[in-house]
Amino acid sequence: MKLNKRYRRGIRADLPFYVSASLLTMVTLLMFYLFYIAGTGIGQYGDEFFSRNKREDATFATYMEIPLEKISAFEEKYGVTLERERYAGVDEGDYKVRVFRPNEKIDLYEIHTGRDLRNDGEILISAGYADENGVSPGEKISVGGRKYTVVGTFLRPDYLYMIENLTDDYKNVTTFFLAYMTPREFKSRFGEGSIHYKVIYGEKTDQVAFRKDINDHYYMASYLAADNNMRITFVHEQADMFIMSSWFILTLFPLLTVLMICILLGRKIRAEQKLIGTLSAMGYSKVKLMRHYSLFAVIPGIVGGLLTSVAALVLAKPFGSLGLADYEPMTPEFTLPLWVAAAGLAVPTLIYFIAAMLRVRKLLKEDTVKLLAGQVGNDAKSRRILTRTRRKVKFRFAVRQLVGNPGRSFVIFLGIFLGAAVVAFGFSFLDSVKAVGEQAHGEFGSFRYEYVLNTLEKGKPYAGEAMIMLPFEDAKARQFSLIGLDSDSTLWNLTTVDGEKADLASGFYISTLCEAIYDVHKGDQFTFRHIATLEKHTVTIDGVIKNGYQSYLISSRKSAADIAGLDSGSYNVILAERSLPLETDKISEIISDTTYENQMQNMINAMAGLIYAFIGIGMIICIASLYATVNNMLSECGHNISMLKVLGFEDRRIHCMILSSNHLLLLPGIILGIAFAYGGMAWYCAEFIEVERLIIPATLKPISILMTVVITVFCYFVSLVLLRRKVNKIDMIEALKDNRE
Amino acid sequence: MFIEVKDARKQYGSGEAAVYALDGIDFTLDEGKICVILGPSGSGKSTLLNMIGGLDSLDSGKMMINGTSITGLSKKALTAYRKENVGFVFQFYNLIPDLTVEENVAVVAEIAKKPLSMDDILKALDIEKYRYRFPRELSGGQQQRVAIARAMVKNPRLLLCDELTGALDTKSSRSVLRFIEKINREYGTTTLIITHNEAIAGMADIIVRIRDGKIESCDENRNKVTSDALVL
Repeated sequence: MKLNKRYRRGIRADLPFYVSASLLTMVTLLMFYLFYIAGTGIGQYGDEFFSRNKREDATFATYMEIPLEKISAFEEKYGVTLERERYAGVDEGDYKVRVFRPNEKIDLYEIHTGRDLRNDGEILISAGYADENGVSPGEKISVGGRKYTVVGTFLRPDYLYMIENLTDDYKNVTTFFLAYMTPREFKSRFGEGSIHYKVIYGEKTDQVAFRKDINDHYYMASYLAADNNMRITFVHEQADMFIMSSWFILTLFPLLTVLMICILLGRKIRAEQKLIGTLSAMGYSKVKLMRHYSLFAVIPGIVGGLLTSVAALVLAKPFGSLGLADYEPMTPEFTLPLWVAAAGLAVPTLIYFIAAMLRVRKLLKEDTVKLLAGQVGNDAKSRRILTRTRRKVKFRFAVRQLVGNPGRSFVIFLGIFLGAAVVAFGFSFLDSVKAVGEQAHGEFGSFRYEYVLNTLEKGKPYAGEAMIMLPFEDAKARQFSLIGLDSDSTLWNLTTVDGEKADLASGFYISTLCEAIYDVHKGDQFTFRHIATLEKHTVTIDGVIKNGYQSYLISSRKSAADIAGLDSGSYNVILAERSLPLETDKISEIISDTTYENQMQNMINAMAGLIYAFIGIGMIICIASLYATVNNMLSECGHNISMLKVLGFEDRRIHCMILSSNHLLLLPGIILGIAFAYGGMAWYCAEFIEVERLIIPATLKPISILMTVVITVFCYFVSLVLLRRKVNKIDMIEALKDNRE
Repeated sequence: MFIEVKDARKQYGSGEAAVYALDGIDFTLDEGKICVILGPSGSGKSTLLNMIGGLDSLDSGKMMINGTSITGLSKKALTAYRKENVGFVFQFYNLIPDLTVEENVAVVAEIAKKPLSMDDILKALDIEKYRYRFPRELSGGQQQRVAIARAMVKNPRLLLCDELTGALDTKSSRSVLRFIEKINREYGTTTLIITHNEAIAGMADIIVRIRDGKIESCDENRNKVTSDALVL
């Protein structure tokens, strides 16, 4: 068909549109691709690594040691794999080391760099610490007063996220690492060391019966299912976060972008109505015309899809690595699945194809005479506004341009909205994480130090307040802390969400985090069980205490001790307003008022690259979408612009009159974009309460709002400045000739 | 002389495809006169009008308007020249569709140094009652009157009309020409009308015939009639 010779010329003539539409398609699809690839890559790596290295299903400690022959008996009886793990903690001052004797059945280590142990003077250290501190194989490291030669680094499945203490929320690879010595060296240095047990359940294992049996014979001291162990769960949670984000992005950005481009394509086709009418009058069939225009329309889909695939192949690894900054140096393969690449190419292309086809079909339903006169779509009654006002003509023109071209205005609005939304979402993420650090301690209480003791004490400490804190779980084995405090406690936050002080002597209260996770509210009954005895308890919740960072059920020390089967004066935590000179071997963990803040700041530092990439993408979306749309607007307004030039309007005045008509959309676009981003962040935080075991307060600080406004306005004006040249280049005489034709 | 054109040349294209739109045009016109330029399509009359109106520039030659050369002026200076001195009326009106009659005129009045009263000009062209209507709600003749009002509101010294009756029926054409005549008479605006229509030449002071970019004749119209007497 000779008509197809128009393709090359048409594309060349409207290159800015095809470039910006392809770029938009690419950028928004790329966001989806990158998140999806990162999520699947991490998830797949986690699955394979866990399977290869026999990841535990749970770890537990007992008050009595389980003899080796009994371990075999338990394995046989319950169809489980059970292993005793020996370890020792060493505090070197500048750093702490958790030394393990290598396991044989569960939680095996995998060499990351260097080689495995051969001699007693050798040591393997965890890879994250080695990377962070620049420790290479061959170097010496001191553990327990003796120098060892580092021969390699390793990863192990229950420490892919290197949390030192289970109450921590963020990794520590700067002052804490794991180490392996030969069994002989371990024994010579630490004897039997501390013991805990690792278990992998069989498909048919009755886990409750197993746990009861262990407790009945060996007294369970602690039990932590893999699903409650952040060192393990964070791998798949990160993968899930990426995948969930990818679907969130897909349903929002690419679909809205595709819609935006479809509207622009529709307008471009409508602008060709005279030609379509002429060709139709000449005898071109509907099918031929539909095919002709649809093939124009698929260009942004094909080019954008291909560019996305290429960019995804190049960027997948560095982008995915940004998401792994918090983890031990895992090495997932970030690959683009063929079906995703094919779908990314096919879906937008098909949508553009169909949109163009439907538009041509709709035009061809119109009267050919109307088409030839270019009158289809000019029936704009809504433009009859502000006809009798005294406002400046420029303003009236701007308003009518917006109201009279709803599709175009919507696309411009969408560009501003999407840009502002993405940028604000990025800032909101940073603000929300920062808010956790800033607000957390206020919700904990007024104490500055929380000393978690190794042993149960009785009575009252010499300073500070006594607290008992014990792990319990619900029927789904989700753990929380049962806390017992004296009713005259002043250091722990006991203010309920109703603004009253909790009466611990006569009631049970839960934290807001606990309320959100277990869906238990004031007045409800809450059933839970002891993690060791699995004995069930049911209490009525008398109120909710505002604390989005800790999942706990709180009552008096006596009530808590009764439930746990302990003496009523027991305590294992001391809250203090100042540092206490406690014996270090009595302390399991010290949590200070800056712990959360520091952990969140570390998290922000690690995620900053990802967030700034997000903000950068928002800017590209904003500029490209506005460029594409305003470019389209200039094509449609070419005649008006040329006439203004003829009338003696300077370029400055023309820019002001034509380009500034969109300024009216700037403010609503930004406001709604920011509101949407804040809403999105609130949803995102709500979705992650159970996953992260944290209520992240959706936050957007005034400075972030200001930054969003500045960035969006900057992008908006950049796109307009880029288009000024186009306004200046419009040839008056050519435009007047076109009108004559 | 108000308009003085000397050896004006303009070529479009190059090589074998070169077209000489203006091929050594010499032409003068006194202030306040009506000049009708006649010629077939492609004769160069629109090009000449565009050059005089400062929409395009000559390849060579000289063009003086009211004693000032507009040859070689910068784009900015040509814009200022158009803004202050020239009113245009086109065959297809070229009104801004999103503006009402009043606004189409006001948009020019807002940038003019000494605009005429808008009410006066709307009244003079008998379109006052349409002031809140949009161009698409008017007939061709009415639209052309709005275009004339728009051209005249800035009180230009030169009114350039390109086939202003080309898209109008006889009745509308006569009405529009009557207003051109009235404006020329009341405001003393020098008026150049290019047209295919020989009959319009009857109302001119000067009749110029142009063909292949050259002036065939330039004569004073000794039998000038009013627009009402034209046989359109």
